[in-house]
Amino acid sequence: MIKNILLPLILGVLSYGFWISPNFKDIAAGIAIFLFGMLFLEEGFKKFSGGILETVLQKSTDNLYKSLSFGVITTSIMQSSSLVSVLSISFLGAGLISLTQGIGIIFGANLGTTTGAWLVAGLGLKVNIASYAMPMLVFGIVFILQKRHALKGIGYILAGLGFLFLGIHYMKEGFEAFRDTIDLASLSIEGIKGLFIFAAIGIVATVIMQSSHATLVLIITALSAQQISYENALALAIGANVGTTITAILGAMSSNVDGKRLAGAHLIFNLVTGLIALFLIHQLIISVEYIASFVGIANDDYTLKLALFHTIFNLIGIVVMIPFIDHLVRYLQTYIKEEAQGVEELKPLKASFLNESVLEFPTTAMSALYQESFALYQRIFEILSQGLGVSPKSVNSANSLDEVLQKEYSNKNFDIDTIYTLEVKGIYGEILDFATKAQGSFSEKNIEELYKLKVANRALVETIKDMKHLQKNLKRYKHHKNTYIQKEYNTIRKNIVQLLRDVNTIASTPEEETIITLLSKARIHAQQNDLLANGVLDELIRNHLISNEMATSLMNDSTYAYNICKNLITMSEILFLPKTGDSSKIENEIIVNEDDIAELLKVQKESNNGTK
Amino acid sequence: MGPNKFIQNVKEYLNLEDFEKKTKKKAVKSLLKKLRTKRKKIKNELKETKEKLKKKELNEELDIIALQIKKGKKILKDLLS
Repeated sequence: MIKNILLPLILGVLSYGFWISPNFKDIAAGIAIFLFGMLFLEEGFKKFSGGILETVLQKSTDNLYKSLSFGVITTSIMQSSSLVSVLSISFLGAGLISLTQGIGIIFGANLGTTTGAWLVAGLGLKVNIASYAMPMLVFGIVFILQKRHALKGIGYILAGLGFLFLGIHYMKEGFEAFRDTIDLASLSIEGIKGLFIFAAIGIVATVIMQSSHATLVLIITALSAQQISYENALALAIGANVGTTITAILGAMSSNVDGKRLAGAHLIFNLVTGLIALFLIHQLIISVEYIASFVGIANDDYTLKLALFHTIFNLIGIVVMIPFIDHLVRYLQTYIKEEAQGVEELKPLKASFLNESVLEFPTTAMSALYQESFALYQRIFEILSQGLGVSPKSVNSANSLDEVLQKEYSNKNFDIDTIYTLEVKGIYGEILDFATKAQGSFSEKNIEELYKLKVANRALVETIKDMKHLQKNLKRYKHHKNTYIQKEYNTIRKNIVQLLRDVNTIASTPEEETIITLLSKARIHAQQNDLLANGVLDELIRNHLISNEMATSLMNDSTYAYNICKNLITMSEILFLPKTGDSSKIENEIIVNEDDIAELLKVQKESNNGTK
Repeated sequence: MGPNKFIQNVKEYLNLEDFEKKTKKKAVKSLLKKLRTKRKKIKNELKETKEKLKKKELNEELDIIALQIKKGKKILKDLLS
């Protein structure tokens, strides 16, 4: 409803402004060009995010102070706290960093973003930056037209900076021309009332533009043209700091619960910092005066004083909030919880790691997909164990396979169809949807990996469908009075439990030689245990040891069991083989293939015949 | 870093020595080394095991590792030729 009204309202106000004042047009165009520049700049940094940014983020945020420094440095370089915030939410959503680390980055980003005010106040207004904008734009566009990813990235950054400079120039020109016709400073409001009104204006302006940086540049240029008073500019800056949390909140909407908690932390930090700044405004102004005279800022240079104020109050916010980070984490974990599901209103489970805001960052998107696929595997492992009538815990225990099978396990609520619908189908759909959407921003190599991941997930889901069919006769024949059929069905159970055990070892071991040996073993066993191929079924039928009905069931179920094993192996080869460099290709070449297995089984058969 | 190592790194960086092939050779050699160590470990375990079933399992693993080493050696030979 609000959205429907807001857009026409903004368009109406802008059109009216353009009609009555050409200077307003200059300022609005300046803001538009500036925001366009921010988009280009973000695009440029995203081109590098396929590796550098994400690797640095993962490696340099293992403690709070490193996270803080990372937030300060990256935001200073990229001049976008929003990009860093959204990236942190994505990383948190993908389970790559903890909530405390994420909060550290967000706090740091708040301080880092204050460098923008210094740059604009110190350089932007004192140097004719528009003269640098043109060559930057030209070189930028030339680079953007290049095929190489890195050159494209540089092109976007250069063009972005060019547009930023041009935008600042237009805003400056507009305000200076305004000064000759209308004195906006006459609208300034003194005292506490002015403080709160202008802080609110700052919030609204930033929410609309979704960039505190743009609001701050607007404030600085207006202040330099003396169109707003210094006190009102300070209040606007405080408001902009609170309003900027909207970007993180929007980014967290599609994130999981941790992403929402981080957006909550961002909002709390900026609100607390804003309130401290509003209530201690006089003390802060005195501190700014004192530090400004100490570092040599001229008495009438209010734009630099504003930049100093912006830095000081964010720094105070960090100092005040750091001792309470653990409390903040606990508070957020208590009050922002995952949606609880009652037994009566069972809803399909949702993916935990897939957040659409990471789609633009290939490495993170891929990590999120791997994490989600692994989580799906863990759930399917439990379902398969229960389908076989064994407890998932005992599969992973040190007990022998016979002991595991003998220990009867039954779950009255276990209904494979319902479980598939509630716990697998939705997540599988989300994985496919996410992978398809991610494809657009991926390189050819990544697309190939993405395709394999889809295959792995499909293989995983197929195991459930096969288990659904297999389970019926497993229940019926595992205690049947015909010992032959009973033995065959228990052998099927044993073989799949053995494979599940091996797959769990493969998933958890870092030793590549163990992984490939177990995968080879799994391939050989799948072939050896295929009742249709190994002649066991023929022998049972020929000797009338089982009825015709039993033979048909066993023949079908043997196929289901073989497919479960084959699909589990396919999934393991994709999900658990090392994914770096050439090693995975080599491992694939070394794992025994069908020809090797045929040779091996032939040798075994010959040696068995010889023994007989 | 010594001058030789530096030159080697520059060569690798500029792809002067068929870098990809070299990396692959390195990976195969490393994997072969690990497989041989595993084979040795299993052989020792086999000597100490008296349980029939366990012996059968270990022998099976030895056969698989032997086959994998054979395949690895062939890949290495192809890369060297």
